[in-house]
Amino acid sequence: MKTTEPIVAIDGLTKVYGGNGTAVHALRGIDLSISAGEFVALIGPSGSGKSTLMAIIGCLDSPTAGTYALDGQRVDGLSGSALAKIRNEKIGFVFQNYNLLPKASVLRNVELPMLYAGVGGRERRERAMELLAKVGIADKARQLPAALSGGQKQRVAVARALANRPKMLLADEPTGALDSKTGHEVLALFQELHRNGNTVVLVTHDPSIAALAGRRVEIHDGLVRPAEAAA
Amino acid sequence: MSAGTGALRERLRSAWVEMRENPGRSSLQALGVMLGVASVLGGFSIADSQRRQADKLFVRIGGLDKLNVQPAAAVRDGTTPSAMETANLGLRGADAESGQSLDRPGIDGVSQQKTARVRVRSPYADQERQITGIAGDYLAINGYSVEEGRIFSAHDLDVAAPVAVLGKEAASVFFPTGEAVGRTMRVADTPVTVIGVLQEKVFRFREGQGNQFAWRNRVIALPASLVSRRMQGDSYQRLDRVTFRLPEVNALAGFAKQLDVLLTANHRLQRDFRLDDVAARMKKMRSQGDIYNMIFMLSGVLALLGGGMVNVNIQMATLKERVREVGVKMAIGAGGREIFKEFMTEALLLTAAGGGVGLAIGIGFSKIITASIGIPLHMEATSFAWAYALAAVFGFFFALYPAIKASRLSPMEALRYE
Repeated sequence: MKTTEPIVAIDGLTKVYGGNGTAVHALRGIDLSISAGEFVALIGPSGSGKSTLMAIIGCLDSPTAGTYALDGQRVDGLSGSALAKIRNEKIGFVFQNYNLLPKASVLRNVELPMLYAGVGGRERRERAMELLAKVGIADKARQLPAALSGGQKQRVAVARALANRPKMLLADEPTGALDSKTGHEVLALFQELHRNGNTVVLVTHDPSIAALAGRRVEIHDGLVRPAEAAA
Repeated sequence: MSAGTGALRERLRSAWVEMRENPGRSSLQALGVMLGVASVLGGFSIADSQRRQADKLFVRIGGLDKLNVQPAAAVRDGTTPSAMETANLGLRGADAESGQSLDRPGIDGVSQQKTARVRVRSPYADQERQITGIAGDYLAINGYSVEEGRIFSAHDLDVAAPVAVLGKEAASVFFPTGEAVGRTMRVADTPVTVIGVLQEKVFRFREGQGNQFAWRNRVIALPASLVSRRMQGDSYQRLDRVTFRLPEVNALAGFAKQLDVLLTANHRLQRDFRLDDVAARMKKMRSQGDIYNMIFMLSGVLALLGGGMVNVNIQMATLKERVREVGVKMAIGAGGREIFKEFMTEALLLTAAGGGVGLAIGIGFSKIITASIGIPLHMEATSFAWAYALAAVFGFFFALYPAIKASRLSPMEALRYE
């Protein structure tokens, strides 16, 4: 296992929803470090806080307390637009329900992160086609997501996640909506990406999927359980 | 990344793609603007067409470009006239001549008019009619032209020749068999020879309506000198009206002032004449149609307001559908500002497109309305500008609220939105 500089360095992270009497402590002091090139599975039952942790790691949400450095840069307490920029440049999301724009073509879905990054039209198109070829669905570029199967949609989502060459791929139950065969194909894609040097963080409740990762981080009641699977 | 213009073009293109991806909500959004623009443009154009037609009538009946001098009673009822008042001679040909001698570079013509109501007889008809003794450029000023024969020569006017020129209606009443020219008729027992027949004058405010100028075709014109000497008059040959026509409506006020001074002096400071109130007339002319403009502007603004509300409503309704979309875009790196700009760009593009279609609809709308009420269509460039500018302003303000609302969504909540 390569252990170079950490991509994710989290220290004493807490997240409290609501206030005063009705406060819910979703995260109660998480310490977590993920190195570049790692394949990590965040696992835990629903209500464990893993979704909250994923949101914070993905810069979709801010912690209540604690520190979070992404790629060496402190991101806790950054403004909404600064977080948007970081999401755009450093994080690629893959969601359980794909979250593709339903009325935009496959190609445009993949182009969109580059559009927000200010990549010019031609370069955007070329790279999007390249990525679609890489995930094996270049022939579907002009179609709408609705015309694609679940597995194909998730491949589009992966292509989109890779668009801006992120530091980290963050996949939230990426096989949750797929049958086991296509699920395995998608997971194989993640494994391949990992082999090619990408940092992959996979959030799941399924231990068999988590077993594919190089490291398992188990979340329970808002804390990291110190039980780690063998690499 | 290229500079600002490139980014703008990218944004416009992107907004265009989104519009095409969502034809339903886009066309609904544009609809409000479209109808608003159409109704502003249509309203203005119909008002303009109507006013132009009214102006035409006003000018052609003899209002705008003419200054009339008429006699006025200088002596008040129940008072004994002073020597000065008695000695005054009233309105005469001399007034017309001295008015002309002001020699403004632009007096188009001066006419003198002396009317009387007398018995007029021909072999075919015997009626009491108003006759008009004329001198100067009466026929030209009043827009008559000859259909048959000729009009009075200077000699006819000088010597009070017993000749007459008839309007179309008068000719057909007194000589129903045609061939009026050369025939003789008796006017107040004076035999006169018809030397000309005038062309029929027609002006209809709308097609199918009555001829506003029917009364003009009833004219029986004689030399003013003849009317004064032989039919109704006095040794001073007083006139009923002297009319000056100027080519420039705007020069009228200045001319009226000078003429007033001159005539007051000529009349030994007695106010026994009356000039048209030019200022009041100009004001009336300018205010004509203003009320229509106001009404149409108001209805256009109301239509735009309604359209704007519809627009906001649709945007708010589709915002629900768009929340997930906004969430996804935020997740892949769009900031609130980016979302705001996207919403605004799209709304403004839709406003522009809807406005363009609205202008086309407005043209068609104006054409149909003006055709149905039978007046010629007249559209001003400023109406187009107004309609479009109003749409732009409304489009902008009604786009703001949904755009702000969308830009303030939290990415996490938006993504989880069901």
